[in-house]
Amino acid sequence: MAELPPELTAKPLALIGVTGLDAVNNAIHRAIWDAFTNSRRPDGAPVQFKLLNNAHEFPTVKPKRNSYEWYKLKGILKRNWMNKYLNEVPSVVVIFYDLDWIDPQWNEKKIECSSRVQSLRAALEGRSTKIAVVLVQHSKPVQPGSEDVVTTERATALCNACELPAKSLYVLPHEDHLLRYTSRLEHAFYDLAQNFYHHEYRIVKGHRDQLNKTSHQYLFVRHQFKMGFLNELKQDQQTAHKHYQQAYNNILDIRYTETDILEIKTVASFINYKLCRLMFNMSCPKDAIAQFRAHTDRFKLRTGPKELMFEHHAWMSSQFSTFAELFEQAIRQGLPAVQTQHPGYYYHMAAQHATDRKTSCEELCKNVTSYPDPDPLAGSEKLEFYGQRPWRPGKLNQEQVDTTRETLAIQALQYKEKTTVNHSMIIIGLLGNAISQFKINRCPRMRRRLVVQMADEYYNSRDYGKVLTLLMHMLWDYRGERWPVLLTDVLKKALGAAFLFASIQDYIILALESLGPSNVLSESHQSAIRSNIINILQKKPPNPEPDLPDAEKVSAIEKWMSLLSQNDPFVFTIDDNMATFIEVKARFSQPKYTVNTTVTVEVFIRNLYREIMEFSKLSVTVNSPGYSSEFAVTDANNKPLIFQSNETKTFLCQFQARQQDVGSEIQIRRVSLYLGNDTSCCVILGFTGIGGETNLLERLYPEIQQFRRGLFESIRPVLNAEIRPEESSVNINVKSQSPALLGEWFPITITLSSNESISNAVLTGILQMDGSSDQSTELSLTMTSKQTPVAVEFTSIDKDHSVQQIVYVKAHKVGDRNLVIKVDYSITEQVKCSKELIYTFSVMKPFEVTTQFYTVLFQPLTKGFINDPFIMMSHITCISPWPITILSTSIELGDSIQKEDEEPQESILEGINLSNGEAASEPFCVVPKVGSEQPTSTGVYTIKWKRTNDDSGLETSSSVTLSPLWVEDAVIGLEAKLPAHGWVRMPICVSYFFRNHSDYLITLQLSMEPSDAFVFAGQKQINICILPNDERKIDWIMRPLVAGLVSLPKLLLAVPADEEHKLNKGRLAEVLERSLPSHIYIMSQSQSLDS
Amino acid sequence: MILIYYYMMAVCVAVIGKDNSPKYIKCLDENTALQFHYKVHTTIDIIEEKLNVGNKTASDVRELFLGLLFSAEDHKIFGYATNTKIKFVVILQSTNTLLRDNEVRTIFKKLHAAYANAVCNPFYVPGDQIKSKLFDLAVMEIMGII
Repeated sequence: MAELPPELTAKPLALIGVTGLDAVNNAIHRAIWDAFTNSRRPDGAPVQFKLLNNAHEFPTVKPKRNSYEWYKLKGILKRNWMNKYLNEVPSVVVIFYDLDWIDPQWNEKKIECSSRVQSLRAALEGRSTKIAVVLVQHSKPVQPGSEDVVTTERATALCNACELPAKSLYVLPHEDHLLRYTSRLEHAFYDLAQNFYHHEYRIVKGHRDQLNKTSHQYLFVRHQFKMGFLNELKQDQQTAHKHYQQAYNNILDIRYTETDILEIKTVASFINYKLCRLMFNMSCPKDAIAQFRAHTDRFKLRTGPKELMFEHHAWMSSQFSTFAELFEQAIRQGLPAVQTQHPGYYYHMAAQHATDRKTSCEELCKNVTSYPDPDPLAGSEKLEFYGQRPWRPGKLNQEQVDTTRETLAIQALQYKEKTTVNHSMIIIGLLGNAISQFKINRCPRMRRRLVVQMADEYYNSRDYGKVLTLLMHMLWDYRGERWPVLLTDVLKKALGAAFLFASIQDYIILALESLGPSNVLSESHQSAIRSNIINILQKKPPNPEPDLPDAEKVSAIEKWMSLLSQNDPFVFTIDDNMATFIEVKARFSQPKYTVNTTVTVEVFIRNLYREIMEFSKLSVTVNSPGYSSEFAVTDANNKPLIFQSNETKTFLCQFQARQQDVGSEIQIRRVSLYLGNDTSCCVILGFTGIGGETNLLERLYPEIQQFRRGLFESIRPVLNAEIRPEESSVNINVKSQSPALLGEWFPITITLSSNESISNAVLTGILQMDGSSDQSTELSLTMTSKQTPVAVEFTSIDKDHSVQQIVYVKAHKVGDRNLVIKVDYSITEQVKCSKELIYTFSVMKPFEVTTQFYTVLFQPLTKGFINDPFIMMSHITCISPWPITILSTSIELGDSIQKEDEEPQESILEGINLSNGEAASEPFCVVPKVGSEQPTSTGVYTIKWKRTNDDSGLETSSSVTLSPLWVEDAVIGLEAKLPAHGWVRMPICVSYFFRNHSDYLITLQLSMEPSDAFVFAGQKQINICILPNDERKIDWIMRPLVAGLVSLPKLLLAVPADEEHKLNKGRLAEVLERSLPSHIYIMSQSQSLDS
Repeated sequence: MILIYYYMMAVCVAVIGKDNSPKYIKCLDENTALQFHYKVHTTIDIIEEKLNVGNKTASDVRELFLGLLFSAEDHKIFGYATNTKIKFVVILQSTNTLLRDNEVRTIFKKLHAAYANAVCNPFYVPGDQIKSKLFDLAVMEIMGII
């Protein structure tokens, strides 16, 4: 009863019979059959094919009934009906026949084919099953559109011979694309099948008029169910749902008695199953849930006979589990589940009803000892209707009940329930399903609760090992949640199971936890547990836990006896995550220790149990990188490990800090407390040293821990300590004349001194800049070769002596530099030490070099002209804090510039000392030879210098690129030759030279402006022609009239309008202004001469 | 025991701390207390999911009432969480069909007020069990015992 029949749960598919295919012997037929059955595509029509042989017999048709007036009602749903429509009565029978349109024996074959159709029609007499004929053809199909007269004619003839409508004749060319043809045929058959089911549906619907509500209540249900089912076969879910719903409503109307309640419940559960499944399929999960709720609400009180109460619970359980399965299936097909509504709840309910079933079975069946004879349940497989009793099949409630038979039958059922059903496994299975559902849907606590229930059930079925496994896991979770009542519940159960399973280790773990503060066990129970612990430590069996079944107790005690009587001592360790009545905190007395001093670990132990507890040994395990070592407590002798109620004791553990741990951290890994002695039974409790409960609160409510008082609470665990090397005996002294100057070899003097003799000292120096090594700075010991890093080795330095080493640094960029100086040395063979020092110095520029340009008249100049000499002056300003001496200077001119005179020039700055802020300049007269669009590079200036008052310093050479200058073409060059000064009223001769640098003939309009200060003789206004690359000289004689710095008569040059393309006017004016002097000094005549 | 039926009867009232451990649980019938402890404990699953910030829309961030957490045949479980993650859980009997949202909210408001008074005690250390006569009285009033 609990299981639904397969015909109900199967997905209804239209049944299509196939004849004429010899799938065994004929390869072509086999290929066709395979195409129909095995190569179905997922989107294919919902049909099922059945291969029939030619002589297949269909179920006989029942005689048609005109009236239900005398119909004898025997039950609601016949057991064979669904199967009949699913597997026996085809909606369509398809005859496959090998026949080509141009077959030579056309006529004979036509007749054979029609006779086959006729015989099939005879076999299906009375049914409205559709018949279709498929001609299996070898020739290519006729192209659609091209009407073939023979084909049309013969097709019509065949249809007529078979008495078939033209659309029931199909052609299947089996050459290529077989699957495409079969899939099209499949859909065509499916259409025929839908017609068939619709027809059948109409027939059943027609019965309705002949029924009346009072006497045919069962038939109302049956017919509605049939209509629903036929619509399902037709794949019309909406209509199917409508009829099932009506069937369900009708069954609710039936007044039930104790005799037919089983049948009603069975059929109701069928209909409910169909309804829920349809609603899930139609994506109405809420409706499905509502329907199911209403269903269970209605039927939970229709329990049936009291003697068979377990049947009702089994029914309820199966309702829930079936629904859960449907729900789960829907979720697998994409329905989203939520945390508050998922199959887990229904599995859980199913498990609860299964538990009820078990309880009532235990209650009702306890006195049943034998199975009655003759078997009243015989023939239960052959019943005509669903849900009927085998001892009174087909009988309705109004008939008299045979009481003795009834009693025997109930006894038989009770016996079967008691002996054949494994209730615990059913419950555990359902709980297992529920657990996985709750896990998926993020309900960890619900899952834990179900696991505990599962453990209860294992306990009932006496599988104590499994109980322990489950509960030990759950205990860990419940401990973390800190729910005392729940923890106590789980603890009690686990203790009982551990006792019955005789698991010493688990029992001890649980017992130790039971004495702790986080549960609410009664004091007497705790005392009993304590004495049990002591018993086990003394190899005596513990007293049984309370509330255990007596029968189990005896065998458990025997197990304990045999276990404890073994000679080997029991030693086991209980490690992390253990909750006991002991709290342990440990701390290092200092955060840092020096090598070879004593490390002290303080261990604080508190007993939270209210009675005295005694331990045998205490040790601390300390970890350092690579190894761990265990140290016994040093002051245990004078302090016994006996703890009064709520007593806190402090123990010390001391050891030497080891050389190997230098520079690393050591860690308290474990504090081990030994319970019992090594000879019989010993339990080692391992603690992390953080403290249990206190630490937890600290983590959860860090802000309010200050409110708690008490010695133990206020202790802060310190589990890590650093081991440091001893103080160094070496001194490093560094001296230098900082800041260093850019480009010089900067000496740094390092002095090592030691207050004890050391050997093998290695001094290394490395430059560091922002953590990385620095490319722009060089290190050297000799000032000639570059070294990174520098290293010097001293074989030994005696006590109170010192050694010195100079390290040279050359920097190419300004800024700060860090020199890391490190000394590694050994005091003895083993003891190696090192000392490090970072020396910081800055690097500065020694001087700044600027370039200035002047005309030959010493006027500032911004651009030069080709072949026009000018003066270039380098200007050195000292910015170094140290005075510097210039040893020599030199200039290397740019490619397009030459010196005015080619004689080598000695530096005029040689030997000059410059202090901060002082400056020196050096002029050069140069002539540009080539002009360009870009500023022309003028040259590189090199200065060789050293620090003035440093004798040892090497000379340093610094090169500076001088500023570039614009150089432009000049067509006309001008030069004036005149004396440096004149005398008043003494004529002076002035010559002006005009040079033509171009390849053209140039005409210039020259004019001399009159001046008040001079009387002059010569050309006043003239046009001059200058040949290409030639020179022209024009002279004047001037007689100065006044003394002083007098401005000369102004020479004006103009370009004739037709020659402007040769010579730019503006440029000419520029040249004029630059090249010609504007003033001249005129001295006065001496008075004596004059008078 | 004299029972005066309140208009809505709570069979179990629980206060759960922010660490999800119980700070106070009172059940009407102490014999079935264990089952109620389990029930209250399992509702934390749903409360946590509801409190998960990602699941909240802007409008109900200020809403402390969590609504119906679980509905079984014989009882309904409601939840409420303060801004400091203290959770209140009340189990009401399902037989009382006149459950209206507003009435349940009123219960929680009373409980919240009583809790606030209880933790205002300067000798109370947050995170400890609530041991307060006044709080007991308030809970008993909610349960309809007095």
